[in-house]
Amino acid sequence: MTFNHTDLYAALIHELKNDLGLLSITLDSIAPQGEATHDAAVDSARLLCQGVVDRLQQALRVYKAIDQPIRPSIDAWSPHDAVHEIRDRAASLSRGRIRVEAMLSPEVPEIWFFDRDLVEMALINAIHNSLAYARSSLRIEASMLEGALALTVRDDSPGYPAHILAGAATDSSGHTRQTGLGLQFSRLIAESHDNRGRRGELRLHNDQGAVFCLLLP
Amino acid sequence: MSLDWVGSDDASIDYSALRALVVEDYPGMRNALRLTLSNFGITKVQLVSNASEAIYHVKQKSYDFILCDFNLGDGRDGQQLLEELRHGNLISIETVFIMVTAESYYEKVVATAELAPDDYMIKPFSPELLRSRLESILLKKWAFRDAYRHFMTGELEDAIVACDQLIRGKPKHLVDALRFKGELLVALGRFEEAETLYQQVISMRAVPWARLGLARSLHQQNKDEAAEEVLRDVMEQAPEMVAAYDLLSDVCLAKKDAPAAQQALERGVAISARTVRRQQRLGEIAQNNGDLDTARAAFSNVLEKGLHSVFVTPSDFGNLCRVQLEQGDLQGVAKTLKDNKNILQGSPEGQLVAAVAQGMAHVKAGNLEAAAKSVEAAAALRASGTHGDPALMLDLAGTCMVSGRLEEADSIVAEVARNAHDSESLLAKARKLYDESGRTEAGASVLSKATSDVRKLNNEGVVLAQRGDFKSAVEKLLTACSEAPHNPRIMMNAVWVILKFIDQAGMDEKLIASARHHLNEAERQAPGHTRIAGLRLHLKEVENRFGIQRKGAA
Repeated sequence: MTFNHTDLYAALIHELKNDLGLLSITLDSIAPQGEATHDAAVDSARLLCQGVVDRLQQALRVYKAIDQPIRPSIDAWSPHDAVHEIRDRAASLSRGRIRVEAMLSPEVPEIWFFDRDLVEMALINAIHNSLAYARSSLRIEASMLEGALALTVRDDSPGYPAHILAGAATDSSGHTRQTGLGLQFSRLIAESHDNRGRRGELRLHNDQGAVFCLLLP
Repeated sequence: MSLDWVGSDDASIDYSALRALVVEDYPGMRNALRLTLSNFGITKVQLVSNASEAIYHVKQKSYDFILCDFNLGDGRDGQQLLEELRHGNLISIETVFIMVTAESYYEKVVATAELAPDDYMIKPFSPELLRSRLESILLKKWAFRDAYRHFMTGELEDAIVACDQLIRGKPKHLVDALRFKGELLVALGRFEEAETLYQQVISMRAVPWARLGLARSLHQQNKDEAAEEVLRDVMEQAPEMVAAYDLLSDVCLAKKDAPAAQQALERGVAISARTVRRQQRLGEIAQNNGDLDTARAAFSNVLEKGLHSVFVTPSDFGNLCRVQLEQGDLQGVAKTLKDNKNILQGSPEGQLVAAVAQGMAHVKAGNLEAAAKSVEAAAALRASGTHGDPALMLDLAGTCMVSGRLEEADSIVAEVARNAHDSESLLAKARKLYDESGRTEAGASVLSKATSDVRKLNNEGVVLAQRGDFKSAVEKLLTACSEAPHNPRIMMNAVWVILKFIDQAGMDEKLIASARHHLNEAERQAPGHTRIAGLRLHLKEVENRFGIQRKGAA
């Protein structure tokens, strides 16, 4: 028996995803016992597992984006639904450890045109960062900014380090950091959203914490 | 549907009333999904491991929600299951169908999304995500309940009115309502309005489905240059949208550019090879273009990829054998017949295909005695009422001629001609058979007699109908139907005059049953013919009108 390279790769990924999915559901089924060391360990296992899941999905998308631009499938989606969905996922990941809030500006329209899967992937990436560094809370916001839809993840962490704000994917030691890679990818996702010649943007800044903002025209 | 009123126009979802079907081949995942669903209150869950089991259960009772893995191991995949469920009307538009995909299959699912699921989940996914996706779909279906109800009872005009209400009053569902309304307008043949609607969506954002809809409405109005321009644009922006290649191929055929039509389909097949109907179409067009290698590859793919598809019929085996014969590859024919022996022997139609292909192969090999035996078998099947597609029947007629069974050959050709009195390409093929056997004149007389009988009955029927004498028109056209039981044009005319007659004279149960039967047969012979949708609507409308009266009288 011989293995075809692509088939083997596909089968491997397929199985890995199934197993990861199972692992994550199994972890979810462990009930809290009200005993701090036990519950904290389970919580961090859940967070880590979901982190691996999200990271894997992102990695596969990045892998496919090598040498070719990300081509979003843009359709009409509800920014309200997207924000609530991300809030629920974040709340489930944090399990009360970090307070998760959602805020929708009244001027945000009922529908907007974007690639739901890509945008949520970028936001979840930001959520993982915030859950890792925030002190007590994070907030997901939708608002209108310069005529574009702004989807923002804001936390009360010490903020992004200087080299990240400078737009670099590597830190001063020259190592590629996961955070940097994820942000690079989020930037590509934002920029792949193009409407009548105007390109989307990823804006990062610090304001009582890290502020991650996707601007979708 | 398991939704309850809360406020004036908002609904909350009662998950405990929801009946769910989970289709997943991986046992561990199946149980995990049951656990996930029970976490948010869905406890009525049926678990199955493959498409056949899913179909069995769907036929037993209805489900509100189907969660289906795209990759189901051997057998049909999730997309094929979805096609079969929707095509066979096994699930209604109200049933939520969510496809679960591994990322590597993701594009294939989106690519084949002419028949799209309500949503898809890329696995692995969290329970919260599944819940929030399911919730938005259920709320959307709730908002669309009036439109769907009218759609299901065939009242498309009323469904459009319901869409208009959503367009005016529900900004959240504006785009979905426009999309559904566009499909309704196309189904009703209101292409100009559809064109305007798609332009309106494009002015918001040039999403690929709106441009595809625009191209379709343009093509239906014979504005093929404009349609082609839109399609070329779609392909550049969204090359994975395979439906665009199918439509482009239709546009090219309308412009009488068969090579370009083939090219378009080849590009579509290169992106998504799994769709059986695309491969069938490519095979047909390539064979007509004389590109036998491409035709053979396409017909082989139909059988290979469509192993478990409802869209594969015995004709597909006949098509492959015909190309192999044209290529002189007798071994290939023998292999096709041998490899598929069990399937072909399983139905009289399959047996007919096998007997005809075998007979043709024997003729080609110069083995006339063996050919005569195959023809004998085919003739016996035909005598017992087994029927094949016109190309197969002409093949049979050809082998009959070679075996000296001229009368039988003439009767088969006459039958084909009666059933396709207006198809130039089939009549030309029949003429060629006679030319090759040196009976050109005999052929001319068989063909002209067969077509003129039917044509005469048909034309008389139509003239009577135009004069308003629907009763005599019905008689004429039903006679024509019995003479030409597989002629789509005649059957559609018969259905039309029956409906007009009932409009005029009142309900006639026997005639309405006959109209129903003939319309189904016409659709089987000419799927997707432009007149069928209109006739179906008219039929439904007549049935409803009198159905309500009957109830009222009782």
